[in-house]
Amino acid sequence: MKQWVEHFNGRMDAWGRKLHEKEIRIPIDLVTGLVFALFALMVLLVMPDQVAISEKDVVNGRAFPTLLMTVMLLCCAMLIGKEVYKLATKQPLNWKVINVQVEAKALAILGILLGTYFLSKWTGLFVVGAVFCCLGFLLYFRCRKKSYYSITLVIAVAIWAAFRFVLGVGF
Amino acid sequence: MLQYIVPATGLLFTLENILWINLGVFIGSVFAAIPGLSVILCVILFLPVTYSMTAIPGMMFLLGIYCAGGYGGSVSAILINTPGTPHAAATMLDGHPLSEKGRTKAALKIALYASTFGGVFSALMLLFLGPQVARVAAQLGTAEYFMVCVFGLTIIAGVSGKSMIKGLISACLGLLISCVGSDPMTSYDRFTFGISRLYLGLDLAVCLIGLFALVEIMAKAEKRLDRLNLDTTQIKDDGVITKAEYKRMARPVLLSSIIGVMVGIIPGTGASEASWFSYNTAKNMSKHPEEFGHGSVEGIAAAESANNAVTGATLIPLLTLGIPGDGTVAIMLSALMINGLNPGLSLFTTQGDIMYAIMLGLILVNIFMLLQGKFLTSLFAKVVSIPQEILTPIIVIFCFAGAYSVNENYFDVGVALIFGMLAWILRKLELPPVPILLGLVLGGMTETNFRRALLISNGSPKIFFSSVYCIIFLVLILLAVGAIVRGKMKERNAQKEE
Repeated sequence: MKQWVEHFNGRMDAWGRKLHEKEIRIPIDLVTGLVFALFALMVLLVMPDQVAISEKDVVNGRAFPTLLMTVMLLCCAMLIGKEVYKLATKQPLNWKVINVQVEAKALAILGILLGTYFLSKWTGLFVVGAVFCCLGFLLYFRCRKKSYYSITLVIAVAIWAAFRFVLGVGF
Repeated sequence: MLQYIVPATGLLFTLENILWINLGVFIGSVFAAIPGLSVILCVILFLPVTYSMTAIPGMMFLLGIYCAGGYGGSVSAILINTPGTPHAAATMLDGHPLSEKGRTKAALKIALYASTFGGVFSALMLLFLGPQVARVAAQLGTAEYFMVCVFGLTIIAGVSGKSMIKGLISACLGLLISCVGSDPMTSYDRFTFGISRLYLGLDLAVCLIGLFALVEIMAKAEKRLDRLNLDTTQIKDDGVITKAEYKRMARPVLLSSIIGVMVGIIPGTGASEASWFSYNTAKNMSKHPEEFGHGSVEGIAAAESANNAVTGATLIPLLTLGIPGDGTVAIMLSALMINGLNPGLSLFTTQGDIMYAIMLGLILVNIFMLLQGKFLTSLFAKVVSIPQEILTPIIVIFCFAGAYSVNENYFDVGVALIFGMLAWILRKLELPPVPILLGLVLGGMTETNFRRALLISNGSPKIFFSSVYCIIFLVLILLAVGAIVRGKMKERNAQKEE
């Protein structure tokens, strides 16, 4: 078992080192401007379907969201315009470096969170998800101290019990 | 005012309130003492707990967390040279050097006393200034209120991130999310996409758990797992502060408390700005400026009194205008509104006894903070080194339990997870989350006032420029935008020069 763990950790380290070297550079302001301009346009597009109004209304329920999306579009136009101007005048753009290893680790954490959610939901027992969460994170951190496992599990059950029996939450 | 004080005292001094205050102070101190955990995270995690409480114990609990967070951050700053909260960074400059001189307990005591003074001073300012500001706020109509909301949102959007434009995009996103659910004026559903659970809108606590707490868990991917080893023997000094030192601290403590209150009243600014500003002022005014950075008692006292003096002051615009001074206080606004307490003059008149109980309670919070600090500091010091392996899953369990307990269904937990993922993407795009929070909190109020004003004017936007108050707020917005843009440009130029 110990050997298997060492072997697994070794492979993960090697994989991590490879990923650590991989980086993605994105022109952050340009991308943000484009993403949110598209988002604002989409919201404006779905608005007639999603916001019912009465013809008699002087100011209807679409007025405020439309105002917000107009402001958002203006902000996006400013962001994009600024970056396009930089491109035209050959000034350096605002770049953001995204490390693939960090994103892979974040995905692993997201996996633990989703696992906790689905386990709790499917079993109907929050405590099952809580135990999975503890084990998942301790394994993620490659914790070898047995005491940490027992402490965390005891606290997890205690939190569930406090919500269940003290605060009366039904899970 | 006096007619409310007596019933308020009766409402405040109950065993339930005292217990919740102490629990809040304890949790706030512990959370703030642990580097990486913030006061805002703590308030978000425990907000669902207050949903089943009445206004006074709920607010006392949250205020306990908020105020104690101001002091708790200094514990790790002094002990391990790592500020538990961002605003304790100024305390660290002198707190840790004093600790290294073998005076750890003295440094912790100075921080505690200064924090308590700043907190009580701020609570008294709230007690006396709050009702006066509310009287002015009572003269504001719907159009003026809309301008106030825009003013608050603009400042927070401007100061929250590197770019004001990105801050405004975040604020718009927060305001749009607040539109999900039934229309506040016609009750037609909006942006529900046929999901019946969305008809009542998205719960603020659930959104915040995703936006601020779960994203911090995902951010563990960005950080190395550092071990914070604390040598507990170092806090076994006698902790004596001499008379001369008390004398030297008096002036910076008073001045910094005033600065803290003034900074706290301005929306968008916060404890960090107050503590740095006060620290520099104290240094400039000190007879021993050479001691600053090497364990100056004045430095610790100035930074700590200022960051706690912000706590009561941020409540002044919150309780009178509904404009939160910072992100943490914005969350408290929702705790107030859940109990039917809407900001404004009516809060100080029709519900005066409750309001005064809360304001007097803030003084009590600071007194209990002093007592807990005196007797439990060594315990707070020990939690500094709780390993991340244990803390992380516990926070996640709290997040999930909190999100579930709001409506007792897993739909909300799913929503929190979606907001966590959204926050991760926004983080990558360098969009600040605080304007989203403010948008979520102020969304209902902003939209209702916007539409009511337009209804009054029969759809004419001229109403937003029609009164003196509207013009004043418009000028303030323009001045604030100008100042923020100028500041950002200066910052950028300084970076370029470096």
